[in-house]
Amino acid sequence: MLVTWRYRKRKSLIQSFDPRAWLIFYLCYVGCTVIFWDLRFLAVLLAMALITVFTSGIKWHEMARAWLFIGGFILFFSFLTFLTGRGGVELYKIEHSYFKIVLPLHIFNWIPTLNFTWERTFYALSMLVRVFSLASMTILIPYSLDPALYGITFRGLGLPDKIAYAMDLTMRFIPTFGRDFTLTMDAQRARGYEIEKLSGGLVAQVRKLAPLVVPVTIHAIAGSEDIIDAMDLRAFGIGPRTWLDRLDYHRRDYALITFGIALFLVSISISMFGVGKFWIPAGLF
Amino acid sequence: MENNDSNKQEMWQFGGREVLVSIIGAALFVVLDVATSFAHIPSVHGVTFRPAVIIPMICGVIFGPWVGLLSGLAGKIMGDLVTEQGFWPWWGLGYGLMGWLPGLIWFSLRNYRRAGEILKIEGLLVLGAGVGIGLASISEIWVSHISLAETVKTYFLPEFLSNIVTGLVLVPVLLIGSWVVIAKRLR
Repeated sequence: MLVTWRYRKRKSLIQSFDPRAWLIFYLCYVGCTVIFWDLRFLAVLLAMALITVFTSGIKWHEMARAWLFIGGFILFFSFLTFLTGRGGVELYKIEHSYFKIVLPLHIFNWIPTLNFTWERTFYALSMLVRVFSLASMTILIPYSLDPALYGITFRGLGLPDKIAYAMDLTMRFIPTFGRDFTLTMDAQRARGYEIEKLSGGLVAQVRKLAPLVVPVTIHAIAGSEDIIDAMDLRAFGIGPRTWLDRLDYHRRDYALITFGIALFLVSISISMFGVGKFWIPAGLF
Repeated sequence: MENNDSNKQEMWQFGGREVLVSIIGAALFVVLDVATSFAHIPSVHGVTFRPAVIIPMICGVIFGPWVGLLSGLAGKIMGDLVTEQGFWPWWGLGYGLMGWLPGLIWFSLRNYRRAGEILKIEGLLVLGAGVGIGLASISEIWVSHISLAETVKTYFLPEFLSNIVTGLVLVPVLLIGSWVVIAKRLR
């Protein structure tokens, strides 16, 4: 089993910035999106996300799986919200119906009714746009951020040295444990273990996975002592870590950070005056 | 092999050694997550059966609460990024708590092979899974804008049940199986 990273070096808008600058902008963007419920403001944020996606240089076939998984998830819950209106009652009190489906049956004196209202429709739309904007920006991160720079990026953002090199070294160990897993799987297959035939309930599936999971885990625990001793002997963790790569901000990175922070501060300020709340076009009812 | 009461302070240490073990735990979580991503809980959308959940649990019990927390948190976040399921920090924190809570009895454990201690560990595994998955599920209320009833039905129950079954079955097996490693480390 080969664990490969989705990152590739591409000529794109997102990769033209320092990863630290991009992460700061991303956090500001998330903050802005979470503040608003007005579909007009959310549409602007969605447009920004789509521009980033279309200029990312990532082909559809590279991202298809992620989009299908997350897109399906978003559409499913948005549709549920549209049908039930749940979650929107905190934003609107009165509803204006434009269509109703009444089923011709009674269930213990209850008549099943689907009531489509303007409030529910716009709430579901706002939620769809909001979550889709966040998902669009988030999906790009593993494709556009070089895994070799995770450590120095987080260190550059002010995270402690331990957290930063923990992220860095985790990336380094993943292919090693992936190789160990493949070796264990091949060895178990040679002994008649068939991983393709996992069936049964939850307990049965857990028991059938045990011959694969237990040896890999114990081997990793046993090996961890040797790795720790080897790193201790090389004085790892004694002083501040030095990094092979170096990240420098350019003018465009400062511009991006300034834009992100300004966008976030403006969003907070205008929301304090009631701007950006849940909105329905006038004249619909 | 003893962990005596004076190790209470040692339990809260988070030096280079603990960081390295957390790194190994997180990397192992990612590998197991990717390798077993084919195993889904039938008819439950977006929730997968994760044998990798045993990693923060076992790291917490063997190496202490901070190792359990970091291996679960970092492992879950990176596992989601690698399997293209997005970036869900609340779920990372939930999985971290599943490692942190069982780690709280680290200082009182004497012998992982004793039935009484295994039962104590199993009890904390259930508590850890409840708190961790509970927190992560509740976060869906404001992240995905769904109701409490929906989040309990769609997220909490399937994940909680699958994680505790996995933990209750596999963690004791791993503790007894890695006895030699643990005994050597504490000698």
